[in-house]
Amino acid sequence: MKKLKNATLLLSALGCMTLASCGGGKGGTTAAPKIGVLVADVSGEEAQAFRTYMTEYVAKQYGATIEYTTALENAADEKSAIEDFAGRGFDAIISMSSSDRAAQLATCVQNKIYYTVGSGMLDDKVYETYKGNEYFLGQIGPSMQTEYEAGLAMGQYYKAKGVDHVGMYGAFIPNPMHVFRAAGVIVGLGDTYGEASEMGAIVGQIYADNGIQQAKIGGDVTVDYMAGFDPTTTYSTLGSIIGSGIDAFLSVGMATTFFSQNLNDAKIPYGDIDAFTSSNGTNMSSGSLNYLAGKYASSLGPVYALIANAKNGHSIRDAQGNAPSISQSYAVATSSEEFTALAAKESGDTRIFSKEVLDSMIGDSVTYDAFVEAVQKERI
Amino acid sequence: METAKKTQEERGAGFRRYKTKNLVIELLPIIVLALLFAIYMTVITIRGYKMELQLTRLFNQAIVLVTVATGATFIYALGSFDISLGASVLFACTMGVLTYNATSSVALLLLVIVACGVGCSLLSASLATFFKIPPFVTTVAMMSVLSAIATTLININNTSGGTASITLPLNLLDPISSVWIKALIAGAFILLCVFVFNFTKVGRRIKFLGGNPTCAKLSGIPASVYTIIAFGIAGLGVGIGALLTLAYTPSVSSGTAGSIGMNIFVAIVFGGMPISGGAKSKIYASLIGGFSYMLLNQILLWLIGTSMNGVAQIISAALFLLIVFLTSLNYRTRLLPR
Repeated sequence: MKKLKNATLLLSALGCMTLASCGGGKGGTTAAPKIGVLVADVSGEEAQAFRTYMTEYVAKQYGATIEYTTALENAADEKSAIEDFAGRGFDAIISMSSSDRAAQLATCVQNKIYYTVGSGMLDDKVYETYKGNEYFLGQIGPSMQTEYEAGLAMGQYYKAKGVDHVGMYGAFIPNPMHVFRAAGVIVGLGDTYGEASEMGAIVGQIYADNGIQQAKIGGDVTVDYMAGFDPTTTYSTLGSIIGSGIDAFLSVGMATTFFSQNLNDAKIPYGDIDAFTSSNGTNMSSGSLNYLAGKYASSLGPVYALIANAKNGHSIRDAQGNAPSISQSYAVATSSEEFTALAAKESGDTRIFSKEVLDSMIGDSVTYDAFVEAVQKERI
Repeated sequence: METAKKTQEERGAGFRRYKTKNLVIELLPIIVLALLFAIYMTVITIRGYKMELQLTRLFNQAIVLVTVATGATFIYALGSFDISLGASVLFACTMGVLTYNATSSVALLLLVIVACGVGCSLLSASLATFFKIPPFVTTVAMMSVLSAIATTLININNTSGGTASITLPLNLLDPISSVWIKALIAGAFILLCVFVFNFTKVGRRIKFLGGNPTCAKLSGIPASVYTIIAFGIAGLGVGIGALLTLAYTPSVSSGTAGSIGMNIFVAIVFGGMPISGGAKSKIYASLIGGFSYMLLNQILLWLIGTSMNGVAQIISAALFLLIVFLTSLNYRTRLLPR
């Protein structure tokens, strides 16, 4: 018993000695930035494509350290992850998780770590509050308006094809990205939701309904709606929708991950807002996927350029000293040929935002206007 | 005579071995905590991480779990289980934020949070008592109901362009967001729980009910009364946990406190508490287990990395099983606990 007590004391002493010897270490810094990426989605193809680009391409080309979080479920997870990165001497955060971006920014400012938005956009109020802060470097990605327009274009595409009965997958509504896309799809099909046909009114109703209520979709095109994913029920719902004789299946995200086999087998033309991945290429060439809107993985490259510039002491700012807020649109392919042409620019070491392009966006001589132009330049 | 003396010596040695074994098992959760802390500090030192920031972060991660789990220990001591505690925290946070946003009163915010925490728990216990069904069955139903109500309220009142959420003014709870104030709040609650659990009739009777409900009933201890008391104390923990959650981040989304329900179970068992409750229940199990669990997860994440998170989870689960097995050795073979 005495020995045991001694052993316990020894362990406690070891802990204390370790504690005492630390004295608050500081993470080492290298020329290339150390970047932490906040993510809520770790399994979707789109998320994986981004991750591959950042960790397999950018990190290797620049010798940068780029580390992803596990799937973050809430604002506390996000804040804790930022504190972890700050505590490990990271230079910057790329946010692709949006539980509470105001709190993310406040945490970054408090811990003196740079912050960028790589997916979605900040609320106008939050952007206005922080746009001049030295630790906020900017936001580049599809705005909610862009999300709506992506859905709208897909709806209009199938409407023009003459569909009068479609299946629709709302993915993970009330995820805002999916809400805005779904609103766009409904309007694009020429339908209304709760008798509204304007983006703001539809989005407001979807949030209030905590999802889309099929009965509230009205118009010439009949919509059979489904959302979420539960392996025990989702496929039977999909089977019912396919069996009801739909002309097409429109998804606001992840249908190619969950349903491509079912839809290809049933030869139902379908569209999705996802990513330009190899499996989607196969779905277009051999399956019935005939509309794909997606961010290409390297569209995240300019965010890296923002961070690299800041790390080198040259933050990109507009004439008023504000951090950039640049909207990026989606690339669209409606045929295998179009897909192949785009995918050829985004495979392995061939990237639309390649090192060569990014190099032109990094450096003391890069101005705000030149940076914006480089981001928005048509490259597809 | 000599043989009798020898037998007595052997018995004495056997008893000493038995006592030592029990002591080791009794101390195992503390030893594991000390070991994990030593590894944690070693990683921080070797890799040059910022110690103060990491320790603060560890505290913030663990304190909500420890607070809610300490209250929940009363339920576990009964041999019962409450899976709705995470949803109760979410619900309490939601109602607190909505109340503040409607009234701008911090006092009302605090009152509503605690009232919701206690109310949700008492409702679970009352339903169980009224319908005479095991309490954990009602908590399964409560989990779904509370999550659905909170999510709907959040979506209706959403103020975010990102994930649907509702939020308090960013700096509203700054006065209670420091580590010391949080430690004071959580510490006061934990001390209250220790006192009630170890030094009052309520604690003894709850353990008695968990250890042998039939015997307790025959002794005239009303199970329904003590079930309601246990859930009430757990509810107070939920309310305080919700307050600490909002003190860390002022926004509430449907994912808030999402992992707490299951983490409470892991923390309590990790801390050496028998799943069956009863006389061997330990009020400090959640304190030790909560910090051990957070340390283990953090160490694995640092050493293995997020890209191999699945491996980290498997190692965490294996260690969890091992510790549960070892700590259960001293009560598995006893006759008294059921």
